Amino acid sequence: MLQDIIGTKTALFSDKGQTVLRGHENRNRRVVLLKGNMVQNSRSEGRGISARVNLDGLFGFASIAEYTPDAAEKVLRAATENARFLSRHTDRKMILPPCLGTGTVPLNRDVVDTEQQRIIEACRQMDRYIEAHYPKLTSRTIVYTEDSMDKIIYASDAYCGHVTVPRCYIYVMLDAESDAGVPVELFKPFGGYGSFADHFSNVEVYYPELDKLYRQLMDKREGVYAEAGYKTVVLGGNMGGMLAHEAVGHTVEADLVDGGSVAGPNLNKRVASDLVTMVDFAHTYNGETAPLPVYLDDEGTRAEDAELIRNGILTGYMNDRESAERYHMVPKGNARAWSFSDEPVIRMRNTCILPGTSTVEEMIASVNDGYYLIDSGNGQADLTGEFMFGVTCGYEIKNGKLGRALLDTTVTGVAFDMLKTVDMVSDEVEWASSGFCGKKQPMPVGMGGPHMRCKIMIGGR
Amino acid sequence: MSDMMKTADLMDRILADGKIVKYSYTVSESEKQEINILNGDFKLMRTVFNNVASLKVFSGNRMGSVNGNDITEEGLRKLAADGIAAAESSPEDECYDIAPDQGRDVFRQGTEQADLDRFAERIREFLDTVAKDYPTVRITAIFASFDKWHWVSRNTNSTEFEGFGGQYGLDIEMCAVEGDTTTGLDYTNVTVDSLERPLIETGSIRTHLESVRDSIHPETLEGKFEGTVIITPWMAAEFIEMLIDNYAANEVVMNGTSLWLDKVGEQVASGLLTVGLKPYDERIVSGERGTSDGYRSEDVTLIDRGVLKAHLLNLYASKKTGRPVVKNTGFDLVVDNGDTPLADMIASVDRGLLLGGFSGGDPGTNGEFSGVAKNSFLIENGKVKCAVTETMVNGNLGELVKNIRAVSRETCCDGNMVLPYLAADGVIVSGK
Repeated sequence: MLQDIIGTKTALFSDKGQTVLRGHENRNRRVVLLKGNMVQNSRSEGRGISARVNLDGLFGFASIAEYTPDAAEKVLRAATENARFLSRHTDRKMILPPCLGTGTVPLNRDVVDTEQQRIIEACRQMDRYIEAHYPKLTSRTIVYTEDSMDKIIYASDAYCGHVTVPRCYIYVMLDAESDAGVPVELFKPFGGYGSFADHFSNVEVYYPELDKLYRQLMDKREGVYAEAGYKTVVLGGNMGGMLAHEAVGHTVEADLVDGGSVAGPNLNKRVASDLVTMVDFAHTYNGETAPLPVYLDDEGTRAEDAELIRNGILTGYMNDRESAERYHMVPKGNARAWSFSDEPVIRMRNTCILPGTSTVEEMIASVNDGYYLIDSGNGQADLTGEFMFGVTCGYEIKNGKLGRALLDTTVTGVAFDMLKTVDMVSDEVEWASSGFCGKKQPMPVGMGGPHMRCKIMIGGR
Repeated sequence: MSDMMKTADLMDRILADGKIVKYSYTVSESEKQEINILNGDFKLMRTVFNNVASLKVFSGNRMGSVNGNDITEEGLRKLAADGIAAAESSPEDECYDIAPDQGRDVFRQGTEQADLDRFAERIREFLDTVAKDYPTVRITAIFASFDKWHWVSRNTNSTEFEGFGGQYGLDIEMCAVEGDTTTGLDYTNVTVDSLERPLIETGSIRTHLESVRDSIHPETLEGKFEGTVIITPWMAAEFIEMLIDNYAANEVVMNGTSLWLDKVGEQVASGLLTVGLKPYDERIVSGERGTSDGYRSEDVTLIDRGVLKAHLLNLYASKKTGRPVVKNTGFDLVVDNGDTPLADMIASVDRGLLLGGFSGGDPGTNGEFSGVAKNSFLIENGKVKCAVTETMVNGNLGELVKNIRAVSRETCCDGNMVLPYLAADGVIVSGK
């Protein structure tokens, strides 16, 4: 854990601008077993100090891979010089955003380290179970991955604090072949917020989920291509979360609104059916800790929930301090940086479409001819809200019942069109938190969603 | 910047103190100066002073790897201790190894001295030119950086490489806007070692600006058809990377799921396709010089006129599978150009797409791909007709490269890779 060696340097903050000084450490642990062979066994740590200075709306940022009081002084000077460098090349000026309160946010939890040997043994135990119980696999991969952010933040006119985001996962990837020799695969992550001991003291608790994954893979061996076209589907909760993040979330990040995103002209307008409400949660969901809680952002804004869509109406954006001022909104703590060398950028935290009242069984029974799309491998979207999700696990729905499994496919649509077709929403939310969002820098994010019945474009043969 | 040779000497002493007899490491120091332009104007200037120490420690047939950015003596001692602990916790595997002695060498690449004021002037010139020549195009972001580095890599087989270098890089995001209508984002990047030319004339920047300008009123296709896609160089790079990952990379060869497992020496693609990784090509600004295994990097040809010449295997995968190692772990992709002008390629297409972007799920090991055509145009009767939206393309990577029927004379050289346009038949294009 970082020790506070930078607090005394706040005396060097200039009263002519806004300054944030940050001590920051990232840790990563990684073990990869491929068919039982350990192909990766690595640990990495990186830490340093950064300063960001805002002078007349021009930002100077500097960082150094040292964690010393001298390094803090050096980055404060360099950041100020960088802001002055920019002022020589632009006439851009901006009134500094107002102070919205000061104080100290307490440490949320410690980052706990684990011996590499314990990690390796957990992976090997899971690998042995898979090898012993799943005879029809052609290959198997176990990936343990752990990353954490540990930050000490001092802001000249905002909140200060010491905050951490540790998380760890075991990914299991299973490969098989169809009778015709065509490879198929499925994967699933286990784990979440916290340290190794929080999730992997006993990996046997995941065996039922592994058994289910294997059954789905056996179904996929006999899978069929989806029929390409515009179809009625039931999106699973993970797909709903992906939709919330990729297709809607990015378009309502204020820097992308500035860039011309479809959310710009749609504020306070209908963008979804009445059944859709969406929130970017800061640290608490439904009375419990959110998947990846954020208590303080890297501009010193104390984190709060950001409502984005209420009953189908677009109600807000995610902001940093500067954009919030421009859009007459309140910053909610979305300015985040991944490593010591990164400047804060507007990012999501735990973005979620809220649950409705239907059951999954009712939703599947209501579809005469369509698809049940359960899991996604990846997703992307752009400024227009046109999105794409890879579908790795899904089934046909025929006359209200599940049919054959699907081979990998892709779905696409335009978010604000597609969300207007949502006519059933399930009563439970599924969360995912193992991935990184990429937007100049990587960033751990949580995404959640219920099952949704809607119409969507699906790719296929 | 400090003396990395002294840091390397310190690392050797620390590892000797720990009685480590087999190891490899790289220590490096870098400096980044990055100008951030958002929505057409300068917003942030970022400086990063960074260090990296990457160490592999071997203990008999065990291996552990560690990375850190603290290169003080205290930091390196902790790194070495962590490396020893990681190695000792590893299972035994006789395939863990480092490359044999490659001798000593010093590499100098790019330009080591930045002219940041000149760089800022070139960026301003770029923004002004875009505003004049492409008034509907909005430059949503530019991340313009000068990166400078110095590294030393050594191992206990006596190899010692030292590298110095610097380069300018430009990542550009753009869209077109008319009233409330916006196109999707388009991206391009370029790496250069001098500021002699206006930035807009480098890489494929003008092609991207024209493409996004012409995409403002896209049309939705009805139904589906099997047609020809002309894959732009930047998209060809993505498809070839997916092809290698799914058919010829370490993991799929080691786990036996590669559909090209036993295809070395056989025709796997059209005879028009030659794919190489060529870090010494003069059009590549800062190609790889030393591999992650400790070999001196070599230019390699993976596919020669359609024939698979090698799997892309590192030392571990090579020893694990008994197949040859490839002394190249970078991705300095060079695809040979053909002799067909792009205009003739387009004129030869009855119905298909000019594919400028692909947003799709990662293909499985069977090579099936499915995704949305982005920044793309419908071609009908030999002419580019309109931009498309909500249009999907589906196919198979292995079949796609077999179905290449033309390779363009023109290439895109962005300082990182060199590729032509590829025309391939048999892709399913579907609309609403």
